[in-house]
Amino acid sequence: MSQTQSSLRMISLIAMRNIMSNKVKSSIVASIMVFGTMLLVVGTALLDSVESSMQKVVTSSLTGQLQVYSSQGKDELALFGGLTASLPEIGEIEDFSRIKSSLEEVPNVQAVVPMGLTVSTGSSGNDIDEVLRQLRDAASNNDAQTVASLSGQVREIAGSLLEEYADKEKISNDLNRLDKERAALEEVQKDAFWQDFTQNSQERLLFLDTKIAPLANNGRRFFMRILGTDPQAFKQHFDRFEVVKGEMIPPGQRGVLISKRTHERFLKHRVARELDRIKREIELEGRSLEDDELLQARARRLSRQYRRVTFQLDPSEVAQLEPKLRDILGSEASAKDSIKELIQKFLHVDHSNFDARYDFFYAQVAPMIELYRVNVGDVVPLQSFTRRGYVKAVNVKIWGTFQFKGIEDSDLAGVVNISDLLTFRELYGKMTRAQRAELEALRDSIGVEDISRDSAEDDLFGGSDEIAIVEQDSQESFDEFQDVEVMAREDRIKQVENLTYSQQELEQGLALNAAVILEDPDDIQRTRALINQKIQQDDLKLKVVDWKEAAGLVGQLIVVIQIVLYVAIFIIFLVALVIINNSMVMATTERMAEVGTMRAIGAQRGFILVLFMLETLVLGLGAGFTGALLGVGIIEILGVWGIPAANEIVRFIFAGPRLYPHVSLSNVLIAAGVIFVVSLLSTLYPALIATRIQPVVAMRGRD
Amino acid sequence: MRDSGSEDLIVKMSQVIKEYPLGKLKVQALRGIDLNISRGEFTTIAGPSGSGKTTVLNLIGCVDVPSSGDVQIAGQSTTNLSDKELTHLRLMKIGFIFQSFNLVPVLDVFQNVELPLLLQGELGASERAVRVKEIIARVGLSDQLRQRPNELSGGQRQRVAIARALVTNPALVLADEPTANLDSVTGNTIIELMKELNATQKTTFIFSTHDPKVMRQASRVIRLVDGEIVLDNDGIEGVVEATDGRGEVGS
Ligand SMILES: Nc1ncnc2c1ncn2[C@@H]1O[C@H](COP(=O)(O)OP(=O)(O)OP(=O)(O)O)[C@@H](O)[C@H]1O
Ligand SMILES: [Mg+2]
Repeated sequence: MSQTQSSLRMISLIAMRNIMSNKVKSSIVASIMVFGTMLLVVGTALLDSVESSMQKVVTSSLTGQLQVYSSQGKDELALFGGLTASLPEIGEIEDFSRIKSSLEEVPNVQAVVPMGLTVSTGSSGNDIDEVLRQLRDAASNNDAQTVASLSGQVREIAGSLLEEYADKEKISNDLNRLDKERAALEEVQKDAFWQDFTQNSQERLLFLDTKIAPLANNGRRFFMRILGTDPQAFKQHFDRFEVVKGEMIPPGQRGVLISKRTHERFLKHRVARELDRIKREIELEGRSLEDDELLQARARRLSRQYRRVTFQLDPSEVAQLEPKLRDILGSEASAKDSIKELIQKFLHVDHSNFDARYDFFYAQVAPMIELYRVNVGDVVPLQSFTRRGYVKAVNVKIWGTFQFKGIEDSDLAGVVNISDLLTFRELYGKMTRAQRAELEALRDSIGVEDISRDSAEDDLFGGSDEIAIVEQDSQESFDEFQDVEVMAREDRIKQVENLTYSQQELEQGLALNAAVILEDPDDIQRTRALINQKIQQDDLKLKVVDWKEAAGLVGQLIVVIQIVLYVAIFIIFLVALVIINNSMVMATTERMAEVGTMRAIGAQRGFILVLFMLETLVLGLGAGFTGALLGVGIIEILGVWGIPAANEIVRFIFAGPRLYPHVSLSNVLIAAGVIFVVSLLSTLYPALIATRIQPVVAMRGRD
Repeated sequence: MRDSGSEDLIVKMSQVIKEYPLGKLKVQALRGIDLNISRGEFTTIAGPSGSGKTTVLNLIGCVDVPSSGDVQIAGQSTTNLSDKELTHLRLMKIGFIFQSFNLVPVLDVFQNVELPLLLQGELGASERAVRVKEIIARVGLSDQLRQRPNELSGGQRQRVAIARALVTNPALVLADEPTANLDSVTGNTIIELMKELNATQKTTFIFSTHDPKVMRQASRVIRLVDGEIVLDNDGIEGVVEATDGRGEVGS
């Protein structure tokens, strides 16, 4: 009806005029609401973007949309790591094939992929073994010249090991053992040890094998989280998974794929790793060697690590490398510099030479040194506690390295290495709490060492590698290791390649948890309910969690962010509500005469109610529209620029180095709904007061 | 008292008593008022301060209800009406002119006058515009159509109020001391305007005043003292003179 239209127009007009005539009050209220709406749009859009990017990454790398695991476990599943570094005790699935066949009957379930996470330590051959092998050959050939040059390398290694002892003494409680070790290393440094080497080669080599090699080997332990699974099914259903080097574990074959990050971070030559890290920080985090003091400190530390390069160079390599080094160093190199000084100077990188030296390192130096402790194709002994509490070592073939697309850079994503389920079952142990604690202590010391190294630059290197510390603390626990190590490399490979298994063997047996891959990946909650029904029905004794819960701490992060955002928005709107309410209550008393007059000349209470509500509503809609527009604008701009991930965890959450957020209609609608409700709520009380104003007040009062 | 047929009576008050609470006590503002006013009258209610003039107008205007007795407007008893019905009655039958003008400050002259028509919701936009402009012309403010109240003088504002009161063609227009906030010359022209509209539109006017000069314009003067009618005439010069002052007559 045109009447209602006209009265509405009149009411809006009055509302508008009142808003305009009270500019200060209106603009305060409006700015709070603009800000609130903007925050709401930006916040929910960012949250949605993060959630969907994270969902893509998490579900298509490790978790799937849903995960099931035993309902009997003590702890909760945390595939990307939980609150503590320790592995949670999530219970066991005794026979995976049973739950597989059962769950695959549930509608929307595409596949069920078995999993089991365990920890183990690995060991690899090392530089001294190689040097000693050459030394043995040279000695048997009576090749004095080669022996002489190799002796230089051994002394280098021993020298670098000796340097660590000052630090080791500070943290070790077995000083007696340290003294013996130091004496052995000092023995090798003496010229006397080498003088008549070829005559006494057996005895000397035995000394080197038994007294020196183990010390050098100390630094060769590494720590691995192994996720056992059905490798073929894993590859098929986790499409972020890709093999980087080497090949996929072939069907029916045992073995491990090392995550590229583990390979690059823990198994790479330390100098190469440092170079990589500096490069990464320059490229990903926009830091510069020109002015970033932390980065400069790291570069300085790098040049002190020259020994790690030099002791791996044999004489022919030195001869090859020296002229090239002099070439790249130019006037920095002096004529009397030996290879040591040259490498040391070469590693002294700065802003102007970093790129050239990085390239040179990989082109010229890297081929001559052992770039990784573990290489694709190696068979390495892994060890862990068995189910009965013994230490058990298993030889496993490293088939290759892998990464998850989009989160290649993330350490979080690189936290697991993948193996077949049978290898997992061998390594998996039901550990006692004490054993577990011991293993965690090892692991923690790795982590702690790694971190403290970053901050205390003058500490340890030349010094101990982080892994050396592990060995030091754990020597007693891992006695069995030696037996495995003794086996010749060829035998190990043969042994491993003979160990095949059938799909049935893989499926009929232990798993710890299983990923449930859905046909419609968005229909998570409904499928979850269906699976729960099925679990009840078939008495599977399982619980089912969604990807967010299964991911662990990282998954909870998004919930935390959500809560923080909503609390912030709630507070902002609460403030807006209180302010609007107060100012409107004040306005009603100021406008008693006006309201009374309108009532006297025939305005019903409803008219007054609408009049007051509309005033805030107009303000709210205006502010809401502006705020939403600003919010959408901000997201659109961010969607073009991208939000850089400040650190590694954020990089994981963003599924890459930058998040390109997008805003959806629902973000705007939610904001509009909230602003609408807040406007109404904040004005309801004052508007009700206004309707109580009696028409008789119009007859009073003078102005 | 007049002998008019009840169908001609616009106001009929019978035995109206109005009490106001004053702490625990009660103040009797009106002590049994019987009053009939016919269509087309131009009546003033006079009396000293506190005598009950405003109270009588409030009850006639249906913005307040009596403690006892009955008020009939245009033949309809108001005693048992709800707030909603009273409001509707005011909207349809009564126009108000206030001492302090009481225009809506954020609306311009045209919009202020249009407001009651919009509340009635009976006329279309174009009819409304014609009616509003016509009545604004009658009060002589055609040039101020788009001005806001704060841009007008007191006299002009009261003209707008008169236009607003008359735009719905009410049966009855009530004005409580419409000239109290105006200087005497302006006040006089306002009363003259009201009188002229009374003559031409046949609209019933009831207004209160302290001012004897204003009183003199009325065709009927009802004099109140202490909540009682002490005098009621048809505008005889002498009586008006006699009631001038502080109200000794009739006490
Ligand atoms: N809301 C009220 N509460 C209490 N007493 C009231 C109220 N309104 C009026 N009165 C009292 O009722 C009596 C009549 O008041 P009323 O306002 O009708 O007088 P009036 O003739 O209009 O006076 P004035 O010339 O001063 O406007 C006075 O004694 C006054 O104090
Ligand atoms: Mg009065």
